[in-house]
Amino acid sequence: MRGIGKSFAGVRVLDDVQLTLYAGETHILAGENGAGKSTLIKILAGIYTEFTGEISFNGRPVRFKNPQAASALGIRVIHQELSLVREMSVLDNLFLGRELCRYSMLRRKTQREQAAALLQRLGLDLDLQRTAGSYPLGLQQMIEIAKALLGDAVVLILDEPTSALTGIEAEKLFAFMAALKERGCALIYISHKMEEIYRLADRITVLRDGRWIGSERADALPRAEMIRWMVGRELTGHFPARPALVPGAPALLRVTGFSVADPAGKRDFAVRDLSLEVRRGEIVGLAGLQGAGNSELLLGLFGAYPGGVRGLMEVEGKRLTPGSPAMAIAAGLALVTNDRKQTGLIADHSIRWNLTLAALRRLSPAGWLRPRRERACAADYLERLAIRAASSDQPVATLSGGNQQKVVLSKWLATQPRVLLLDEPTRGVDIGAKHEIYELMNQWTAQGLGILLITSEMPELLALSDRILVMHGGRVTAELSRRTATPEGIMRAAMGEEAAA
Amino acid sequence: MKRSELMQQGRQWIRSPFARALLALICIAILGVIFNADGAFYKWSTHRDMFRQISVFGILACGLTVVIIAGGIDLSVGSLVGLNAVLFSMLTIHCGWPAAAAIAACLLAGTAAGVSSGGLVAKFRLQPFIATLAMMVFARGLAKWISGGQKVSSAVQQADGAYSYVETPAIFNALNARIWHDNVAVVSVVFLVCLAVTALILARLRWGRYVYAIGGNEEAARLSGVPVKATQLLAYGLCGLFSAVAGLCQAAQELQGDPEAGVSYELTAIAIVVMGGTSLAGGRGGVGLTLLGALTIGYLEKILSINAVGEAARLMLTGTIIVVAVIFQKGAKR
Amino acid sequence: MKMILVVLMSAFLTTGALAQKSFTIGMSQCNLGEPWRVQMNADIKKSAAAHPELKLIYKDAQNDTLKQRAQIEEFVAAGVDLLIVSPKEAVPLTPPVAAAFKKGIPVIVLDRRLVGDQFTCFIGADNRRIGRAAGRWIVEKLHGTGQVVELKGLMTSTPGQDRNAGFRESIKETGIKVVFEADMKWLEPDARKEMESALARFPDIKLVYAHNDPGAHGAWLAAKAAGREKDILFVGIDGLPQEGRTYVKQGILAASFEYPTGGREAIDAALSILNGKPPAKEITLKSKAFTPENIEKGGEELP
Repeated sequence: MRGIGKSFAGVRVLDDVQLTLYAGETHILAGENGAGKSTLIKILAGIYTEFTGEISFNGRPVRFKNPQAASALGIRVIHQELSLVREMSVLDNLFLGRELCRYSMLRRKTQREQAAALLQRLGLDLDLQRTAGSYPLGLQQMIEIAKALLGDAVVLILDEPTSALTGIEAEKLFAFMAALKERGCALIYISHKMEEIYRLADRITVLRDGRWIGSERADALPRAEMIRWMVGRELTGHFPARPALVPGAPALLRVTGFSVADPAGKRDFAVRDLSLEVRRGEIVGLAGLQGAGNSELLLGLFGAYPGGVRGLMEVEGKRLTPGSPAMAIAAGLALVTNDRKQTGLIADHSIRWNLTLAALRRLSPAGWLRPRRERACAADYLERLAIRAASSDQPVATLSGGNQQKVVLSKWLATQPRVLLLDEPTRGVDIGAKHEIYELMNQWTAQGLGILLITSEMPELLALSDRILVMHGGRVTAELSRRTATPEGIMRAAMGEEAAA
Repeated sequence: MKRSELMQQGRQWIRSPFARALLALICIAILGVIFNADGAFYKWSTHRDMFRQISVFGILACGLTVVIIAGGIDLSVGSLVGLNAVLFSMLTIHCGWPAAAAIAACLLAGTAAGVSSGGLVAKFRLQPFIATLAMMVFARGLAKWISGGQKVSSAVQQADGAYSYVETPAIFNALNARIWHDNVAVVSVVFLVCLAVTALILARLRWGRYVYAIGGNEEAARLSGVPVKATQLLAYGLCGLFSAVAGLCQAAQELQGDPEAGVSYELTAIAIVVMGGTSLAGGRGGVGLTLLGALTIGYLEKILSINAVGEAARLMLTGTIIVVAVIFQKGAKR
Repeated sequence: MKMILVVLMSAFLTTGALAQKSFTIGMSQCNLGEPWRVQMNADIKKSAAAHPELKLIYKDAQNDTLKQRAQIEEFVAAGVDLLIVSPKEAVPLTPPVAAAFKKGIPVIVLDRRLVGDQFTCFIGADNRRIGRAAGRWIVEKLHGTGQVVELKGLMTSTPGQDRNAGFRESIKETGIKVVFEADMKWLEPDARKEMESALARFPDIKLVYAHNDPGAHGAWLAAKAAGREKDILFVGIDGLPQEGRTYVKQGILAASFEYPTGGREAIDAALSILNGKPPAKEITLKSKAFTPENIEKGGEELP
């Protein structure tokens, strides 16, 4: 690809970008969110058809009219967002859009055989007839990958494929990527995880602000140099230092004997008989693999399952029955969910509307909206959290992932909470914004807030948490202090081994 | 630089739903100028009458706008027109209630019907389509039952089967009249009031913002502390209230309560909302758009009528123009 | 619930009929959503009230052909002594009526026709004739000249087509000119809408001929709003007591032409059939014209 340019509504998002891909290599595409990585691969995959510049494939110039044309040449994409039809079976999802037919009748048997062979190659044990939506997110991601690999992929593009995968699932994926490489397939891989990047990369291309910064062999590009390419400045250390905890700080959130019925109804309980405490100024990390029940715990505490919870709960010494999110907000809780698109933001609405939604009771006394107050509130948080937007009237969907996440955080800060429940607050956020969010968390705890944090990124968990609770099967299997926590210890407890605290 | 910025803004405005709806209206108006039926289109009375005709539909569309923005749909509005037209006529003509009491009773009945649909949606999680379809059938049946299947007019049947004739209550003539030097029909004023009330709710009340929020992303709204059920209940209640208002206007314009009144009005009202540019997916839209949609449909019908276009051609033309307008709207950006 | 009640009642009545030597008559009405048909049932009820030996059971098919077919079959199964059917459509309802007729149950067909002759007697009015009479009346009233608006019923329905055709026959080769015509689908609000358009275009309308009375009333409302109701005559069809005749009495309509329901005639025919004296195979109902001059005397029969 040479001299690629693309504009949206007059805004230039890609300018003279180039990318060369060789057979049998893993090519990392790096850059902060909003750097133009997704746009570039969408051009390559034939999704965007209007652009400047040229693409040549095996030495011949090509111009795809639609995604099917790219797919026919073996260029396949696994997008960051899942594109499965949740209500359809795994089998039908795999063949969606290129069903095998004879005389317009489905050849179901052939399809089943091919699918079974593919899943076996991937080491996936799935029931082809079950609906895709009934599998956990991690497995859905694997189905998505399997779908892209059906038929012969020559170029496989993976856009942050591991963001919803557990460690074991990610390992399986990496093994499979290695096998594809052996067979001469070229891979383009987009990731924000430094460990992954250096583990997988043969070569790295960095984009920043829609421009090509450079391409280099991985072993010739040190980490610090790459980060400088990406952010245009050198970051001082990956994580900011946590200040020491004030000894004897009072408990903000105390939970005893807390149980949450499984919302999916598969097991009796998602969380069973759990007790925990978050003190003023403290970050308590919640670790656990998928299905451990930590997300359900936060939702349960926040009143998202009225009638589905049991146990005692106190916020700043006051009893709270988790009856509804509105009650939880009034008591001083705030919940940042792990899925910004589905449960965090209203994509069509403006930044301002999203930002003020949770605090609307405070901002609109007697039920009357006060536009001036709302504007002031939005402007205040845009500035405080350094959200990069033209104005607060801009639709939130037009922001980059990091800025969207900062809008979600602002929404909850605007409710003036005492305890923040954060579920994967840095998911799908670029490195620069991640860093900003870490610093914000330090600021908030310094102001006396308590934070209960779920994160699947081990370094993040270890660096941010004052205390770590590890969950498995709805229970706490280990409680580790900042000093005693090790990745191995956490992983052992997360896999169900009861550890001595 | 300055000029290109202005052009940029202009381009963005052209893409907004409001501009699209306005352009559709202008296109229809141009059609009116071309097919002006020997100058009938240029008469003020033509425009005045068009606005009167579209008023009942417009009032229904106001309530529907709120429900549709909240991510729902209400198919019962047409039946509620019939029910309230009958109820109002029964109470004022047969029972001799004072106008104010009868109006209050109808508004209450309409709101209750709307809240019932809303309750089915919010509490029992029925799909809005099903819940309001049930209400549509039920309300039509109720209208026929209380009227005995007959139009309720100033001809009152006695016990022996003969008819006696009573004066039409003054409220009918008051609602059927025109004011401001004969320039605006009272029902049109009612429509404008409903528009203003809806605009106020959507733009100025916290509850209005909640309506947009649950339509945009119900789960995100719920987790942000939005009282989803109460908001839905109020949205459907408001839609029922406006249906009752439309029912009163319908009765006044016919000088009777027809249990068959309002059949398929819900479809015209939905067409008005959608042509305006309010998304059926919820979360987006506004009542200003609905006014433009109402005017577009009103002018379309008026132009077909003054040119005495045959029924078959009318149906085909209306269908085509609705599709073209909605496709045009689909290209709009927020 | 209602169905069960009807079935129970019919069972009860049938057994009762044998004991008291009385007769059970099943009345299948195609759509009680129309006031005219409600009137038809009322007329039947009123006439039958004078004959205590007649027990009537009414069923309403709610404008659904298949439902009406099922209801006719239910009547046959219940063993009624006589069937009155006012069918929704000719072709699909001919077989069930013929089946009843072949089983020996006398059938009176009211208002709309069936195919063939497998019934005892047909009673109905002639829309074309009524349209012709209205046309003649209009020619006379306007002294053979003037602009007229025609507000048509549904032109895909036979009554609409016949009321239009009869009227046009009578005004042919006279000075009466139809300057504006529109389909108002039998609906009052639509008639008002179309009339507003006609008023906007033609300043010298002498008369409105509407295919039903609500249509004429809607046109009057439009003319009244334009202040022109005094200059225009309004003529409608149907002549129901609470609609057309009321409007004539109130001075709104210049004339309403009755479209008789045949309810009374049906009971008369039923009685003669049950007493062993079958009536003529086809009875065409006489229509009446109601005008402000004759309304108190009960209208004037048309020739």
